[in-house]
Amino acid sequence: MKKLLALMVAAVVGVGLAQPVTIGILSPLTGGAAGTGQAQKAGFELALAEINAAGGVLGQPLRIIIEDDRADPATSVAAFEKLMTEDGVEFIAGGFSSGATLALVESFRTFQPIVSWIGGASSGIGNDAFDGIEELLGQEEWFFHVHPWDYQNVEATFGFIGDLGVDSVAILHEDGAFGTPGAAGLEAGLEAMGVDVVLREAFTSTLTGGTGDFRATLSKVGAAGADMLYWIGYDPDAQPLSSQLKELGVAPAYVFGAPPGWPTGIEAAPEMQCVMGLIGYLPNLPNPEAVAFADAYRAMHGTDPDNYMSALAYAQLWSYADAINAAGTTDQAAVIEKLKTMTFGSPMGDWSFKPSIEAKHQGFGSEMWLVFQFQNGVREIVWPADRATAPLAACR
Amino acid sequence: MDLSLLPQALVSGVLASGLYALVAVGLALAIGVIGIVNFAHGEFFMIGAFLAYQLFVSFGFDPLLSILFVAPVLFLIGAALYASTIRFVLKAPELNQMLLTFGIGIILQNLALMIWGGDPRSIGGVPYRAVGLQVGGVSVGLVPLGSFVISVLLVGGLYLVLARTPLGRAMRAVAQNRVGAGLVGLEVNRVYLVAFGLSALLAGIGGVMIAVIQSPTPTVGLAFTLKAFAIVVLAGLGNIRGIVSAAMVVALAESLVATMVPNGDALRNAVFFAIILGTLVYRSWRRA
Amino acid sequence: MRGRGLWLDLLAAALFVGLLAALPGILRGAYGQASVSYLALGIRAVGLAVLALSWDLVARTGQLSLAHAAFYGAGGYAAAVLLRLTDAPVWAGIPLAGVVAAALALALGGATLRLYGIYFAIGTLAFAEVLKTVVKSTPFAITGGSVGTNLPPLFRPQFVAGAMERWEVAYLRNQGYFLVYLGLLALAILVSVLVQRSRLRHAFTAVRTNEWVAGVMGVNPARTKLVAFVISSAIVGMLGAIEAHRFGSVNPDATFSVHTTVLALVTPIFGGLYTTVGPILAALVLSGVEETLKRTLSDGYLVAYGVVLVVSILFMPRGVMGLFRSLARRRRARAAVGAVAPGGRDA
Repeated sequence: MKKLLALMVAAVVGVGLAQPVTIGILSPLTGGAAGTGQAQKAGFELALAEINAAGGVLGQPLRIIIEDDRADPATSVAAFEKLMTEDGVEFIAGGFSSGATLALVESFRTFQPIVSWIGGASSGIGNDAFDGIEELLGQEEWFFHVHPWDYQNVEATFGFIGDLGVDSVAILHEDGAFGTPGAAGLEAGLEAMGVDVVLREAFTSTLTGGTGDFRATLSKVGAAGADMLYWIGYDPDAQPLSSQLKELGVAPAYVFGAPPGWPTGIEAAPEMQCVMGLIGYLPNLPNPEAVAFADAYRAMHGTDPDNYMSALAYAQLWSYADAINAAGTTDQAAVIEKLKTMTFGSPMGDWSFKPSIEAKHQGFGSEMWLVFQFQNGVREIVWPADRATAPLAACR
Repeated sequence: MDLSLLPQALVSGVLASGLYALVAVGLALAIGVIGIVNFAHGEFFMIGAFLAYQLFVSFGFDPLLSILFVAPVLFLIGAALYASTIRFVLKAPELNQMLLTFGIGIILQNLALMIWGGDPRSIGGVPYRAVGLQVGGVSVGLVPLGSFVISVLLVGGLYLVLARTPLGRAMRAVAQNRVGAGLVGLEVNRVYLVAFGLSALLAGIGGVMIAVIQSPTPTVGLAFTLKAFAIVVLAGLGNIRGIVSAAMVVALAESLVATMVPNGDALRNAVFFAIILGTLVYRSWRRA
Repeated sequence: MRGRGLWLDLLAAALFVGLLAALPGILRGAYGQASVSYLALGIRAVGLAVLALSWDLVARTGQLSLAHAAFYGAGGYAAAVLLRLTDAPVWAGIPLAGVVAAALALALGGATLRLYGIYFAIGTLAFAEVLKTVVKSTPFAITGGSVGTNLPPLFRPQFVAGAMERWEVAYLRNQGYFLVYLGLLALAILVSVLVQRSRLRHAFTAVRTNEWVAGVMGVNPARTKLVAFVISSAIVGMLGAIEAHRFGSVNPDATFSVHTTVLALVTPIFGGLYTTVGPILAALVLSGVEETLKRTLSDGYLVAYGVVLVVSILFMPRGVMGLFRSLARRRRARAAVGAVAPGGRDA
């Protein structure tokens, strides 16, 4: 009888253990946001290899299924529902596009898996007429948001600009859903700090159909004569904005760019000298976790981890592995409990989920952001002072 | 309205027409003269841009130097595409050409994505990029000036080839009457091959300029293709010399609105396409 | 003869729509919770069919419209603005979308009456781009400007814990949308069949072939073109509204994306232009091919997809329908030969 009982227990436990934990991932592997998607994929692959080398999750190798969502609403919804119903996953990761995330809200709420979501920075806070992702999903117990919200991106800059002590700022922003709310938040915050916003102009980004000629708007910046130019746009705008600024002879003391990422190879361009930007992660970060990550990434993929999305994806998958292992089960309530309370490691240092304005579980906040500056072909961290690798230099 | 910015707006606008003319001239040859509706034209820019980037990264070539390599490579690509697929749809309805070239475009775009990844690529270390000649209170950028000069040369060159050389005459003959051209002894297929290769070559040069100005991604082609189509149509199919003036009109209008109107740069595309639409409609009714 | 053809076509269409309407239930029975995923794919395929068929309608008059995305977007925004500014019932946005899109089409179609071929195409493209930028610049209070605005979903089935599984909620929602999309497709099919089996078909073809001659023959080219343009746009406008509800939001760059137009025009070319079956068949086949490629090849599935398009147009210049027709013709010819050859069957 005891033997039979032992056999039954072993069988049950065996069956329970036999299923490897599978995490479903949505990422824009192709299409306009492919840079982000491919970077995320590289980060996920590295984390997966390390997690499984360290024993996997609940004693079994972790499995991931990465679905291409193309940053497109229709594809995202179909891909998510496939992961939930055909693949039967219980954990969702990845995420980037705000538009696609909004389309997923209804589906997320229907299935209610644990959703750890990198992207969708559009919080909707501060915009009464628009429900953003934080407002729609923030209160859900199963929703964990990793990337900082849009207002947290802007918040980081306020600390920096305050330390810098400039009197006037000219704001340029791409005219879409990324740049416009960001610029509005920035202007409001700067005015509250007593900084004079002398210009706020929209431009057509190269990513949304512009041809990269920003001379008209930049000449207005010259006429306004601000201490600092702050622009919010997309990656391919960085080069033309910087070089045309110099070409026109417009020379503010500080130039600050806030694209989601920076093009590969741009450090070598001399006109980028003294341009500053926000970055979550850089390959030359000195802290040990960053060095380890960069080395491992290089060993696996053969290139530097240029895009901070790799670091975020890596951190996200590791947080899942740590939480599920700590919980000892895939039971949703138990894993949620661990995700809420644990501190996780990442190339950017330790992090955890804390409440933000309307979200219960927000991962990285404004403290993730570092200000870097292009100095002689290298991106040096110049702020916050305790993590700086070089002193800040004004443009003139 | 800050009138002090007007002179700079005018200069920038005139020079910006160079890039527009550059991206339109290859398409003008393909559609305007030969009659091939090429939805993959933007991908030729994109390949030119990425080749320029790769030549810089691997060998340190200045983009202007890479034009010497990019041009023949793009010619070969265009010719190869023509010989393998496009010549089979020449007699088919235009819509078939659209589907074929659309498919080719998808292939090229995603191959580029697989090779170079999705991140934008910048050609660093182009010393003349941020240089602007200060002429009487206005800045004349070297890069836009260069694009302008190159585009005028290419447009003028293409016009001369079409008007004065045997090859050009052959191209025009083939475009006017395919059967007749064959009857008088022209090797129709060879003419089309050269023409299409030439169209790709011109697009490739445009792509090199784009790589200098911007940081291209595999999807960079589309925005330029749409505008190139519009400029070719604005100039009038077959009107090669008109490309420069058509480009100038839209570039100037864009520049003026972008400078003089608050948030005017956000209206750039509206200005561009409103001029296109307005001109097309106006001309059509005036003809009637 | 014409009368019988019309009724046969309508019967076939009704059967087709009926079969598709039963599909959700069949899928659910066969696949259980995976049916949610397949239905989601089915919704996309039917949406593409509506897009393709509506574009084909206007192509029949020789008008190569590149403004399809403009009407799609206008429909989406019509619904969004209505619900943002008023307390109208959720479903009211859809017919309004059709009306708004139709009105825009009337204006654009009227202005471009004397534009042909690629001039017409570029003119419509220009209109689409201008509209996108104009919407982006409209006051925030009305349309949400460049950020866009939210829309409520059309279906929000209630989850009753204990009485149902979570996936059944998703199933009900997908089934609801599937049937709405199907209803719009049925409308598009009805219009297409009525056109193909009436004098309008000859009017469309005449205008497409040679407008001037058509005019001499007694067809009113302007009216014919406008009718096609307006109906086609109304249909795709309603699609835009339905999709806006499904995606929960509209914003200028995404909703007016030129990608919609490109899909709308390459699909009918693949399937067979100027037919009812062609665009629908193409939508189903291409959606299936793309999804299959995506699942079997991880990277570079889009390269394979491009190859499929290229190869298909080279070997099927008249699309899939053209292939069927030439096969049928060959079979008939063979049967006729067989009938007269000694020892062959009687015809």
